[in-house]
Amino acid sequence: MTISVTALAVLVGTATLVTTLVPVVLVIFWIRDWLRGELW
Amino acid sequence: MNSLPHAALDPDTGWLILAVFSLIWVALGAHLGRRTAGLEDYMLAGRKIGLALGTATTMATWVTSNTTMAAPQLALQMGVWGMLGYSLGAVGLLLFAPLARRIHALMPTGFTSGDFVRLRYGNTAWRVFLVISLVYGFGWLVSMGMAGGVLVNALTGIDYRVGMTVILAVCVLYTLLGGLRAVIGTDFLQTLIILVGVVALAWLAISGVGFERMHDAVLARRPELLNLLFPAALMFLFNNLLFGIGEIFHSNVWWSRAFAFREGVGFKAYLIAGIFWMPIPIVAGFVALTVPALHINVPSADMVGPLVAARLLGSSGAVIVFIVVFAALASSLDSLLAATSDLILTDLYKGHLRPQASETELAGAARWVILGLGLLAWLLCLPRITTLAQLLYFMGAFVASTIWPIAAGLFWRNVNPAGAALAMLAGTVAGLAGYFLIGFYVAALISAAVSMSIVLLSTWLRPGEFDWALLSPARETHR
Repeated sequence: MTISVTALAVLVGTATLVTTLVPVVLVIFWIRDWLRGELW
Repeated sequence: MNSLPHAALDPDTGWLILAVFSLIWVALGAHLGRRTAGLEDYMLAGRKIGLALGTATTMATWVTSNTTMAAPQLALQMGVWGMLGYSLGAVGLLLFAPLARRIHALMPTGFTSGDFVRLRYGNTAWRVFLVISLVYGFGWLVSMGMAGGVLVNALTGIDYRVGMTVILAVCVLYTLLGGLRAVIGTDFLQTLIILVGVVALAWLAISGVGFERMHDAVLARRPELLNLLFPAALMFLFNNLLFGIGEIFHSNVWWSRAFAFREGVGFKAYLIAGIFWMPIPIVAGFVALTVPALHINVPSADMVGPLVAARLLGSSGAVIVFIVVFAALASSLDSLLAATSDLILTDLYKGHLRPQASETELAGAARWVILGLGLLAWLLCLPRITTLAQLLYFMGAFVASTIWPIAAGLFWRNVNPAGAALAMLAGTVAGLAGYFLIGFYVAALISAAVSMSIVLLSTWLRPGEFDWALLSPARETHR
């Protein structure tokens, strides 16, 4: 049973898209912690 | 030593990148470490780490250079299941989330995973656990050190030993200067660098080769890589799942973070980090599937990531990979140095050699332990003894044996202490037998199965009755 080109594209494309958004979320967390004085 | 026939970067550029980022990590580590006061602050960063730094350090530590070096290697060897199996390493982080909350609640003044095993199961289990944990810690350190040397050599032509020495020395220096605060502070920046770099390479691979061309070429030359019923790969998937769980459940790298995170942060940080980490091995690993389309000759499987990047992007690709893997290496090496030295200091030095040691003495010894660990890792890295994945999965036999004793011991009052010690010992031996007699992909599977059977059977036959209050005695606040 071979994975189709569409399934491969969906798998890799979704993973890449999610990973693209992660740095943005981390920076938002950082700003939130910093404003609350909860960074350290 | 394997090196690219034509290294993508010239040694001068390689040295420039090494120098700039070494300076950044050491300066940042020293800056963050200036606020450190006392041993507890040095080892656990004051126990007040927030969600942003907590999530980032968890992700960065679990990314490691293996995600950028071994994930493509496994995709080349195991295909689609290689990538998916690697991404299941995230399950360990997800499952550790409730454990982190439980650890913080049961042991608010705890320092190491060794503390837990000693108080929960007694000295025999503690010593078995220490052997497993220290063997694993050294193995991972050596794996990271070797990865550094391989990367520097493959991308710049700089000698393997020289590159490995520089990377280890930088990590030892800033960990020494700033303790866990330096480790976690640098991890945040390193996480951002890793993520941006990995995503940039993935988008360039997608646009440069395309899914259709990639799929057609793999189907023509390596069809087994696209086979969803690839038996060895399926075994690998379950093995990797158990390896990840075992590594995270037992290792002091993760326990020290559970102790260091501010109240209420541990559960969220591990859960979010697990979700965010899961797609990364797929993003980093799939580039290996472009090898048939790009007609790349891969002399050594663990070099496939840098080779593809260099072919796709030339010098700029090599620069990106170099920076990303340096950040990934540093984020794992520093965590390992800090957490393993905590284990040696608390469980070996104070636990076995100097029970009456004062805080001042321990604070001084902590720095010597980090230095000694770095030196030992350097010595073991000098001969490049095995590939990264081989070393990683050899360790699976050790760590998977700890899953049941740790998890059951945290939640289940009746676990038999002698059974827990035997489970770790017999699980490791059986896992090693599986590794040598069958293959690397079954080591963790066998180890976890044997360990689980012994924990369940011994507890059923002779149940214990543990008092949770014993996990947080006043005397444990020794520092």
